[in-house]
This record gives sequence, structure tokens and C-alpha cells, in this order.
Amino acid sequence: MDEWKPNPAVKPHKKRSWYLAWKYKLMNQRALRKLCQTGAVLFLLVTVIVNIKLILDTRRAAYEEEEESAQDYDDEMMNVEVPRRPVSNKKVLDVEVYSSRSKVYVAVDGTTVLEDEAREQGRGIHVIVLNQATGHVMAKRVFDTYSPHEDEAMVLFLNMVARGRILIFTIKDEGSFHLKDTAKNVLKSLGSQVAPFLSWRDMWTFVGKKGGEVYGEKHAKSPALSTWGDPVLLKTEVHLTSVEDAECHWPDTELNRRRKRFCSKVEGYGSVCSCRDPTPIEFNPDPLKDNKVFDVPVAVIAGNRPNYLYRMLRSLLSAQGVNAQMITVFIDGYYEEPMDVVELFGLSGIQHTPISIKNARVSQHYKASLTATFNLFPDAKFAVVLEEDLDISVDFFSFLSQSIHLLEEDESLYCISAWNDQGYEHTAEDPSLLYRVETMPGLGWVLRKSLYKDELEPKWPTPEKLWDWDMWMRMPEQRKGRECIIPDVSRSYHFGIVGLNMNGYFHEAYFKKHKFNTVPNVQLKNVESLRKDAYETEIHRLLGEAEVLDHSKNPCEDSFVPDTEGRVYVMFIRMEQEADFTTWTQLAKCLHIWDLDVRGNHKGLWRLFRKKNHFLVVGVPASPYSSKKPSSVTPIYMEPPAKEEGAVA
Amino acid sequence: MQKINKNVVLALLSLTSLVFLLFQLYYYKFYLSHKNGAVFSKVRGSQSGQDSTRWHVVRKFLGLISSHNIPVYLIDPLILGLVDKDIEQIRSSPDGPSPECKYFCAPRDFTTFALLDKTWKHEVGLFRTAEKMGFQWLKIINKDPRLDGMDDLSGIEIPLHYIFKLASHAIHLVVFYERSGNYLWHGPLRLKQHMDRKFVPFRKLHFGRYPGAYEKPELLLVSIDDLKVQIPKNPSSFLEEMSHSRFLECRYREARAFFQLYPDDASLDAVEFRKKAKSLLHLAALTLNSLGVKFWLSSGTCLGWYRQCNVIPHSKDVDLGVFIRDYKADIIPAFQKAGLPLKHKFGKVEDSLELSFQGEDDVKLDIFFFYEEDDHIWNGGTQAKSGKKFKYLFPKFTLCWTEFVELKVHVPCETLQYVEANYGLDWKVPVKTWDWKSSPSNVQYNGVWPVDEWDDVIQIY
Repeated sequence: MDEWKPNPAVKPHKKRSWYLAWKYKLMNQRALRKLCQTGAVLFLLVTVIVNIKLILDTRRAAYEEEEESAQDYDDEMMNVEVPRRPVSNKKVLDVEVYSSRSKVYVAVDGTTVLEDEAREQGRGIHVIVLNQATGHVMAKRVFDTYSPHEDEAMVLFLNMVARGRILIFTIKDEGSFHLKDTAKNVLKSLGSQVAPFLSWRDMWTFVGKKGGEVYGEKHAKSPALSTWGDPVLLKTEVHLTSVEDAECHWPDTELNRRRKRFCSKVEGYGSVCSCRDPTPIEFNPDPLKDNKVFDVPVAVIAGNRPNYLYRMLRSLLSAQGVNAQMITVFIDGYYEEPMDVVELFGLSGIQHTPISIKNARVSQHYKASLTATFNLFPDAKFAVVLEEDLDISVDFFSFLSQSIHLLEEDESLYCISAWNDQGYEHTAEDPSLLYRVETMPGLGWVLRKSLYKDELEPKWPTPEKLWDWDMWMRMPEQRKGRECIIPDVSRSYHFGIVGLNMNGYFHEAYFKKHKFNTVPNVQLKNVESLRKDAYETEIHRLLGEAEVLDHSKNPCEDSFVPDTEGRVYVMFIRMEQEADFTTWTQLAKCLHIWDLDVRGNHKGLWRLFRKKNHFLVVGVPASPYSSKKPSSVTPIYMEPPAKEEGAVA
Repeated sequence: MQKINKNVVLALLSLTSLVFLLFQLYYYKFYLSHKNGAVFSKVRGSQSGQDSTRWHVVRKFLGLISSHNIPVYLIDPLILGLVDKDIEQIRSSPDGPSPECKYFCAPRDFTTFALLDKTWKHEVGLFRTAEKMGFQWLKIINKDPRLDGMDDLSGIEIPLHYIFKLASHAIHLVVFYERSGNYLWHGPLRLKQHMDRKFVPFRKLHFGRYPGAYEKPELLLVSIDDLKVQIPKNPSSFLEEMSHSRFLECRYREARAFFQLYPDDASLDAVEFRKKAKSLLHLAALTLNSLGVKFWLSSGTCLGWYRQCNVIPHSKDVDLGVFIRDYKADIIPAFQKAGLPLKHKFGKVEDSLELSFQGEDDVKLDIFFFYEEDDHIWNGGTQAKSGKKFKYLFPKFTLCWTEFVELKVHVPCETLQYVEANYGLDWKVPVKTWDWKSSPSNVQYNGVWPVDEWDDVIQIY
């Protein structure tokens, strides 16, 4: 203690603290006091040093960590997340709705959510559904109620919208001509005063809550038949409710969490969002025994038709033997709603930046989707290709499971398709029957990986070529004489009536009456006879037993085929060379089957059903089966209508 | 005076000491609650307590994943290293109870497991259960490289790594994906900005610094330290594979930019050549791999991979590099057996060896042998008619895995230096006329073969 020198800078304290004085009194013995003091100082020094070291250690460790994560493990892309638009806690929305002859718009809190001033477009009643808690747009529709039946679609839609949602209506141009009483009553029940009296070329806007209050309505009557009502602008305020009130109280499960997310974003999917007894989103179909296509990836090609996609995925996930893990939905464009649908079903979806336009865009989307599918499932030998506007038969995978080995083993096969181009209600009969055809039907088909990787992908049409991918695949350079296997009764149903190459009339004429298998677990017969050589044997056997029909009768008449069941009949038509389809096209036309180009043929032979009898058509003399024609029979020739010939020429 | 001063100092020291004591408490509390003692693991607690913690955490984790039917396998290099020493014994007694905790109690911060992506369904339930069991977990996701090569696809980010933390131990679960070329791939571990950088000491992880490529392992169910786990059947070869597993992704974005500048040749000839080159490369890889000869993409084939992620259609041959130390006399007969006859052989094993095999329809396979010097690596060339020798110099390089035309192959990790050495700084510009004697920027004249050796060093078939 003696060698210890006090710091001269420190001023000596004259006053002792009471504590020290007390201590001093106690420690009267100098030596003992010294010892204790030294001990205490040493102890304190050690604690201080240990503590300093500890602090330094932890500091360094923490620093190192920070540094290392900065060095090695930082995401080099540095993608700073775009800050989300702050969710305003505002309780009131300002809504502006405009209705006029040539323009409609809707603005919510200053943001335009609908604007349509295109000419010759968007006529009718525009409907917007807002979430009553967030104010987000959940659905946007336009019903051309100037035209027939659109009002029925509107009623259907309005009935699907959940109670409490905010509905905004506005008319562009004309919306009353085919607005029937049923629809008017529905509008009236929503609180509209004007709807029952809406008439020709009136302008109208309406904002209300489904099953609740009315926020505003404006109406301008058309003064005369030839003029429109004055434009109307409705400005109103909508009071938002709390999130809890806007949601259903489903039990908290993983499925319901998905449902909740979906239902808070979009509208118009019916009972999937009902608070009571919502329709299931998980289907658990029976598994298939010995399923050979369980590990085959399924690519669903989709665009921006979310309602179609919803219907399609429902049927796909209900098919026996489906494996949800193998399904990928490829969406052409960054559309949110289709992705919402995909997520609702817990599937994986990939969005694809659109490349090129029209048919080329579809074709590029196909290419990207197929390449991605084989990249994601490098083990796969095949891929199932589906489109968003198809219903999938309950035995779709069973059908493929029973036939896929043919595609693996028979080099002369191009694809297996679930679709029979000629399989209409009146021309298809036997779900267990398969055909070989020279055309590629698409609409639910299986693609062999080697075909894609070695042949199709490297020379797929480039974006500047406005080709249909399916037309391109049907070209002889690609098909190289190979054939597809198809069922007599299709395993897919094409329900899309809006699309790139599709409209209501076209759908009605060519797709609506298509036969679709609804029988589960159909056991296919004679799958082995679909192999290249076996099929010829089969056809010869069939032709051998077929009864030749009376060629003096008109083949278009029903009486051409006798009123029997389960028989095999054959007729011969004129077909000068392989590409001469003059008579066939006329026959197809009068039989009301696909006649826009030639489908479903196999070496100049078509197989279909008439009056539940197998009905074979052989093109003479081009078909190798012409030899089966009795010499007494003259092949039927049907002339194309003259005016059409003129048009073609 | 002195006494007073002493007492003042004493008081001061007590005060500091008290302050530090508070500090200590604060730090202790801070780390205990936020870091779960990861940093302190060396300092804190008795060794034996730590040991059993690790074992308990592993046991809990295995319980968790088996309750969800998720098949994982052990790939922890530390434990596999220990296991490998006793592998015979472990294999022979798969069920025997172990007297001591020998493997899972070994000191370490992590235990690493692998999970094959396609064997589970990404159920969220797993994480709920994990939380209930007391695990904290972290998921690291990133872009799916299987779609990276494609124009403008998006929407999928895939989980690459999971970390489950309990007390002072963490489980690192590496997700392996199957990719075209029949191999397994795991991604790099990159933290996004909002992530907790201090969740675990990431730097100490054995997987994740780089992406890696592996063969599909054969698995073995063993019982070690009374825990049943799957391990690679041959741990030592797995560890060996791990040390060379670094994977390079092709530079798809740059390749797309290249094709913007120089549109791809889509002619039928180009399609045909690419198809042939691809099948030749597959055949060559099969042959060399079965001999155990390590090879990499060299010259034009390497340039094609690096610049455009594809075969250069006007290159007319496939080029591979092999270190001369890996040369085997069986190479020539093996290729002949595979249907690729020897076209020419230049040089000899000691100097400038080069082999050419004739593939289908004029597509040639060139194998260049590389000689290592102290500060560079070189391969040789020979002009047949004059006997002139050439030397191509490269900076030293190591080998990485990559995927090329649906094949897992090696390329030099330092690809840019390699390509620049060979093709100069203008390698980005396609050149259709190429003279192997003068065009490469790293070519050196290397004398002439003595005439009496010609029969040996210049063999043309």
C-alpha cells in the first residue's frame, strides 16, 4: 500500500463519507486494514479487467458476425423491397362514378379503377365490386345488356357476390334494351330506385352495399329515341367497415387460410366464399391403382381468364389419380387474379412475360411453359399439357395410365390426346375405345420429352412468326407421319367461349355438343391393338366384318344407317388422292361434325358412331383399305356448294 | 490524506465494478434472449451440458421431421467424418445401443441435414409443429435456377435452406433439387435485407457459401448415438465430393444480352449440329466418367457455355480439357468401343498430347491435355504437315461444376480468365473464321518436333 501513490490531480477529500468513517472505525488495526484494502483493490481490478475483456469479446463476436453476413451472405441482387402502398386507415372512401354515351369511369379515392372510352366497345352495364373493409377492387365486369341473355349473366354474377360488398354500377352507351324484369328486380332489391324504370339510352350510376345501404344514385333520361341521356357524374362517400366484419368466420385451418386470402381479394367465384358451407377447395379423389402417370408433370397453360381457370382446376383436382404436386400453372402475363386462383388451390403458378402478339404470343407461352416443365421435372419422360378452358374427365389419368406405355414404346406415335375432334354426342359412343389418327388434336394431351427436346424445342417458331403452335405441330415437317392416340369419347371438354380464336357462335357450332366421359374407371379395351402393326390387323378385321351400307341412299339422311345397335357399317367415298377431302368435308358438314379442316383420319379412314353403330368411312381409291370395297359399290361423291367453291377460288 | 485518497479510489473502483457488473448482466441477458447463447457457447455452461444439448436438439429435430414423414439425411461433414472412422462397425450393427454419445455430442454449432425437394410437399404444418416444440426457424428462399435460363418467367421462389434453432444448437437443413443432367443441386445461402443476420453465425455453416452439385447419393439407415438417421452409404466419398462441389450457374442474363446483339442461328444446319454436338458430349462424358477421368469444357465449347449457354453452331467440334496427370492409356480404346474412332493423335504423354475422335457426321471431339507449371497451365498443338509445335498458356485455375446441354460437367471456376486467355478481350464478339495456330491470344510458337519422332507424335487416321 505504501508504494501506491495517489493521483496528484485528484484533490484530497477532507470530508469522509459516513460509510468510510464507519469502516475506518471498525478496521482499526492497520495491518489488517491494509491487507483487506489490497485484497479489495486487487479483486476489483480483476473484475474490471475481466469485464472489459468480456465486453470486448462480445463486441468483436457481434461485429464479426455482422461483417460476415455482410461479406458472404448478402443477397447480391440487393433487391430492395418496394415499399407497399401504406394502407390508409381511412374509414371513408370517396367514390366518383361517371356514365355517358361514349365514356364511363369510376374513381375510388382519386384512383381511377375503371376507365372505358373506347369506341364500339364496352357497351352495357359496368359493375365493380369493392371490398367493404379495404376498398380494394375485387371484381370488374361488363354486361352488354343491350344484347340478349347478358342480363341473366349479370343476375348470376350479382347473386354470387357476398353480402356486404360494395357494388358500383354505371352504363355506357345503352344498357336497357335486353334488361329484363328479373334483372331489374335484382337491381331494385339492391336498393336502386331507378332500375325498374331504366329505359332506352338512359344514363345511370348507382353505388350501394349488397344487402345494405345505398350510397348514391343518379339517372339521366333519354329525351328521345335518337338521343342519349345527359352524362351523369355521381360523387359519394362510402363508409368502410372493419376487416373482421368483412370476413367469414371459418375454422382456422390451412385450407381456410387460403380461402380467406382468396375471398378477401376477388369476387365472383360463388360458393367458394360463402360464410356458411363454402364449397370445398380440396377434393381428395380416389387414388388410382398402379398409376403410371402419377409422376408425370402436368402443365396448365393459362391466360387471363381466371373464372375458366377456376373451373378447370376444380375438375382437374377432382380427377382420380391426380397428383397436385406435379401440377404447374403457367400464366401468360402478370395477372393477379389467375395467380390468386392458383394459390387458392395450393398449386404452384409461374407467370410469363408476354412475348410477341396474338398467336405468336400463345406459341411463345407454350414453348416457355414446356421448357420450364421439363426443367422443373428433369426426371420426367412425358408432360401432360392442359389448357385453362378445359373440363377434365374423372378418368383422365386412368385413361393416360392405361395408354402411356404405348407412347414410350411405339416410335410411330406423336402424342396421346384426350380429345376426339369428331367425338360429338351423336358420333361417339364407346368410352373404352381408342383410335389412331394422323392429326394432332391437342386439348389435353401428352408430350414425350424426347420429341420436345430433340425435335420441337430447337426449331419452335420464333416470336415474329404469327403461327398457331398447334397448326405448326400438325405440319408434316414436324409430325413426320406419326400418329396420335385418341379416345372415342373425349376425356376433356372445351368450355371456353371467349378466347383468341373463339366466340360464342363458333363454340355453339363446334364444341358445345361434344361428348365428354363422366364414367369413372373405364377399362380401356385392346390397348395393345393400338400399336402400329396391330392396329392395321385390327382395322382389317373390322372392315372384314363390316356391313356395306346402301350407297344409293343419301349419306346425310338418318335412314342411311339402319336402326340397329352395336353393328359395324362401312361406306366408301370418293378420295382421288391422299389430300382430296372434297367429299369428306361435305359429309362432315351434313353430319354436323368438325368440317373446318380434316381431323381424325387414319390412312383415308374415319371411324365414328351413328345411331350406336360403329360407322367407318373409307376414301377410295386413296386409302389402302379401298381393296375392301366390293366392286359393285360406287364410292359416293358429294359436290361442294357452288357459291362456296367460288369463294374458295 | 493518503488513506482518504486510497479510500476514494476504492470507492471509485467499487463503483466501476458495480457498473461493469450491471453491464455484464445486461449483456448476458441480451445474448441469452436474442442469440440463444450461440456466441457464448464456448464460454458458457459445462461441456457435458452442451454436449447433451446438441444430441437433444438433433433428437427433437428428427422427431419433428419423422412426424411429418419428411425423409432427410445427414450430411454434416463433422459428424460424417467421425462416422466414417467407425463405418464398418456402424454398418454391421445397425441397431446396437451405443454406450456413449460419440457423434452427435461432438462440439459444433450446427448439425447439417439434406432434404430432397421432391420428397415433401412444403406443408406449412411442419413449421407450426416446430414452433410448438420450441424451435425458431428461418427460411431462405431465392430464384429457381431451373427457370433462370428461360426468358421472362417469374413467380417462383424456392426454399433453399432452412435453419431450425433450439437453445444453443441449430439444425441446418439444405434443400436439394434435381436438375436436368441427373444430379442434385443446392443453392447458395444469401440473406435478404430484412433478415436477421444474427440468427445464427452464418459464416460457420458448411453449406451455402456457394451453390453445389452432387450425384444422387445412395443412402443407408443407421443408428448412431441411439438415433436413427439416414447417411450417405459411403461417407468418405461424400465428403470428398463435397470438397469439390462448387457449382457455377450459366450466365443466362448475359447470354440473353448476347443473343440480342447477335441473334441465334436457327437454321436447320445449326439445329442439327447442336443436336449432334450434344449427343457427342453426352457420349464423351459417359466414357470419361466411367474411366474416372476428370475433364472440363475447353476452347470453343467452354466459350459457348460462358457466352451463350449453348453450343456455338459454327464451331464444328467439341473441345474438352484433361489434366495430363489424369491421362489413362484406356482412353483411346474406351472411345473406340463407344463408337468414336481415333482421328488423330498429336504429341506424347510427356509433351503436347492431343487426341481427336471422329463423331457422327464430321463432328469431331478434341481432347487437349493440360500440363501444370508453377505459375501457369498450358496445352500443346501440332501442325501435321510441318511438325510445328504450339503452346497455349492459361493462368492457373480450379474446376467447378456447371450444367450444360442437360449434363453436369466441369468448367474452370475462373472462367473469365480462361476464356480471355484463349480468345482475348474480344471474346464477346463472334468470329466465324478461326485459325487455331494464330487466332488464340495465348498461342506461343514452341519449336518443331524432331523429324525422327514424327511417326510417333503425328498420327493421323
